[in-house]
Amino acid sequence: MSKPLLILDNVSMYFGGLKAVDNLSFTVNEGEIVGLIGPNGAGKTTVFNCVTQFYKNYEGDIYFSAASDKLDLRNCKVTDVIDQGLVRTFQNVELVADLSILENLLVGAHNQFQTGIVSHILRTKKAREEEKALREKAYEILKFLGIYEIRDLYVKGQPYGVMKKIEIARTLMSNPKMIILDEPAAGLNDRETDELETLIYEIKKKYNTTILLIEHDMGFVMNICDRIVAINFGKFLAMDTPKKIQQNKEVQEAYLGSDA
Amino acid sequence: MDILNKIERFFANISKQLSERPVLTFFLFGLVIASIGFLPHTGLIRWGTMGIFAYIIIFSVVAMGLNLLLGFSGLISLGTAGFVGAGALGLGVFMNMGIPFEIAAVLVLIISGLLGALIGLFSLKVEGIYLAIATLFVGEILRQIYTQVEIFGGQAIRIGSVRFLGFIELSMINQMQRSFLFLIITGFMVVMMVVMHNIVKSKTGRALMAMSRSQHAAQAMGISLLKYRLTAFVLATLFATFGGVMYGLYNQNVPTTAWTLDLSLFVIAMVIVGGLKSIYGTFLGVFIIYGIPNLWLKNYFGDISYIFSGILIILVIIFYPHGFVYIWYDLKKQYNRLKAYLSQKQVTQDE
Amino acid sequence: MTDLLRLLFNSLETGSVYALAALGIVLIFRTSRTTNFAQGMIGTFNAYIAAYLMLQYGFRIWLVALVALFTAFLTGIIIDTLIIRPAAKVSPISKQIITLGIIMVIIGILPWLFGVDTMTLPRFIPVRYSFLIYGADLRYNTIFVIVLSTILMAAMFWFIQYTKWGLATRVTASDETTSKLMGVPTKTVTMVSWATAAMLGTLAALFVAPRVSVYSNMLLTVQISAFFAGTLGGFSTFFGPVVGAFIISFARNFTQFYISDIWGNVIVYTSILVFLYFKPYGIFGKKPTKKV
Repeated sequence: MSKPLLILDNVSMYFGGLKAVDNLSFTVNEGEIVGLIGPNGAGKTTVFNCVTQFYKNYEGDIYFSAASDKLDLRNCKVTDVIDQGLVRTFQNVELVADLSILENLLVGAHNQFQTGIVSHILRTKKAREEEKALREKAYEILKFLGIYEIRDLYVKGQPYGVMKKIEIARTLMSNPKMIILDEPAAGLNDRETDELETLIYEIKKKYNTTILLIEHDMGFVMNICDRIVAINFGKFLAMDTPKKIQQNKEVQEAYLGSDA
Repeated sequence: MDILNKIERFFANISKQLSERPVLTFFLFGLVIASIGFLPHTGLIRWGTMGIFAYIIIFSVVAMGLNLLLGFSGLISLGTAGFVGAGALGLGVFMNMGIPFEIAAVLVLIISGLLGALIGLFSLKVEGIYLAIATLFVGEILRQIYTQVEIFGGQAIRIGSVRFLGFIELSMINQMQRSFLFLIITGFMVVMMVVMHNIVKSKTGRALMAMSRSQHAAQAMGISLLKYRLTAFVLATLFATFGGVMYGLYNQNVPTTAWTLDLSLFVIAMVIVGGLKSIYGTFLGVFIIYGIPNLWLKNYFGDISYIFSGILIILVIIFYPHGFVYIWYDLKKQYNRLKAYLSQKQVTQDE
Repeated sequence: MTDLLRLLFNSLETGSVYALAALGIVLIFRTSRTTNFAQGMIGTFNAYIAAYLMLQYGFRIWLVALVALFTAFLTGIIIDTLIIRPAAKVSPISKQIITLGIIMVIIGILPWLFGVDTMTLPRFIPVRYSFLIYGADLRYNTIFVIVLSTILMAAMFWFIQYTKWGLATRVTASDETTSKLMGVPTKTVTMVSWATAAMLGTLAALFVAPRVSVYSNMLLTVQISAFFAGTLGGFSTFFGPVVGAFIISFARNFTQFYISDIWGNVIVYTSILVFLYFKPYGIFGKKPTKKV
């Protein structure tokens, strides 16, 4: 058994009187692909927002053990989470539309830059070399994802599938230990979904990352995930291999209603 | 047809060369502008025309700063005039105390920069129209101080001749020296263009854009709102103040009443009409908003020229919402259409 | 006591003027999503018409005021139809600059139509009609301004709150696209808003004119104060800016009188800025939310 990377320990999150996440605990181990599923409004994105520290006022603890052992993420600012090797994508693709694809990747490398604004203004040797090195890195990732040829085009006007790819490419720029994907297959056609499946495998292999994803496309989730966490109304239902999750009574009820 | 292709190839080649060497392009652009400073000696243009170009140069620097704010960071400031005034009047006050030009300039830049940082802090709390009007408050406070506080000396502050770099005495009154002053501010403009270019093509420029397009995604990428809001406002105020310093250096007599909301709005108009996120677009905007009326329209129409400027602003915004500089793409499109049409014609003729 | 009463009435009068202007600005902001910098200039333009008619034909102030309000109505409609509607898709910041364009057009038109001589407008009720109260000289005109503004604003609030058209205005203000889909005539609402705002601005101009004479920048202070009032009260309600207007008017008059003539404005503005830091959306405003 490999070592646990992300630990949620009794996490709860309230919005006013509404309990969006309710005493949720689960663990993601290093090298796993874990899916987080649940009906609409089950609080999946809220879980992600807690993990990535967009919401700070959650109860319980979230630990991440990449850079240092069992680090309490609450001690990280939302902007420091990426330094720990934890990076995410968004449900409705959040890219900079009026920057080129390449530049969007460089945004993802923001925390990799050592030089400051003064050396950028003066274009010192160090600043130029750093920019060049990160560009090379971006080229490599773009080639790997097969979008190298269009690197200088604006993001605006790209097909949805390509934008999803750019967002994934952007996460890779920060040398992530763990990537959190919020509905990566939403809005993709069947062929693109298949492609994404292969891509996620390859990313895991090549970049040696752990992946946690939310997805509604059950076929996709069942195919790709090592383990699946099912939640409903913010509550933990089950965590198991895809096969067993499919057979789980509670999960079936959550999806189909108790009469089914 | 062949001629068209040849011309096209010629220009494509030049533009490729130039776009690969942006700094060289800025320098060449500066040379062209600088030559205006020596034309009055030949009698080709009037001294007044050179003065108008001096203002265009100064406003370009101010507007570039605002473009960093408006175009790249999606933030607005209605207090720009206050900071230009700070640069010009502050320079005057310090120089009248006997402080050399360079040190006085650095001092006002530091003071303004700190004020800008304060606004940046403020912008973390306040957004949209509230932030815009908060900056208007700052502008109004500064304006009140300039017009009512005694050290700014009533109607205007006289700076008099400036000892540049400690040994070159330059006075506005002497025609040759005025040309040199023009040359110096052109040089400053080129430097600021390079600075702006280097900023927007660096991590900072990308971070500013990421922050304005999606705060959440930017934060997830490790972009601190605090740091980059401050950066945006400090840069904008520094550019504006530097524009003011250039104003003081060139005019050597600074009015206290000129730094009103109208001026701030004009600077915004320059950025929007010219082109958001574009350095040359900013210059173009200044030329359209300030240059065209003052160079030509006012001579023929007097005050009525405001009507033309007003209509021009309205039309440009309706038809080129991202700035007039983007007319270039339309022209290219038209040109390609023309070429396609011509080649088709040729084919039919050949048949 | 005398000073206090004088300050009180003075503040109420300027407060009413600021409130009228602020109401115009917030009306446009809510229905057209733009900060209308031309609000003051539109009022000024119509005040020019009034002053010109008076000077040329010797009409009475009441008559020229009515004419000016009518032309204001037309100005609002023309601006909306010719300029604002074609620019519906333009970003909010660019729209603000369009209103700057409107200012410039009007500045150009003024000397061309009305000449360059400064003109004046009298008070609605001449100064000689006044009475003393605890030693303070209270003019009937002041009372007239305060009362008329109050009645007008009350009528507007009633209209916005309780009539069908008021409802249409409120829903357009909160979500234009949805309103349009639900069959609300948003175009008419926007047009009437511009017309109303122009009339409010003109009224403010007519009230201010006797004190400052009629010139192109006559409403500058009023306009800036109206913006401040909107921010202080919060742009998300219609009554917030009105409250803000009176607060600013009182604060300014009292600090200038009791603390410092020179620093009065600076003190008031700075304190509002500090206040905004803690209440970023004004006294009555609410923070808009965005989902990730």
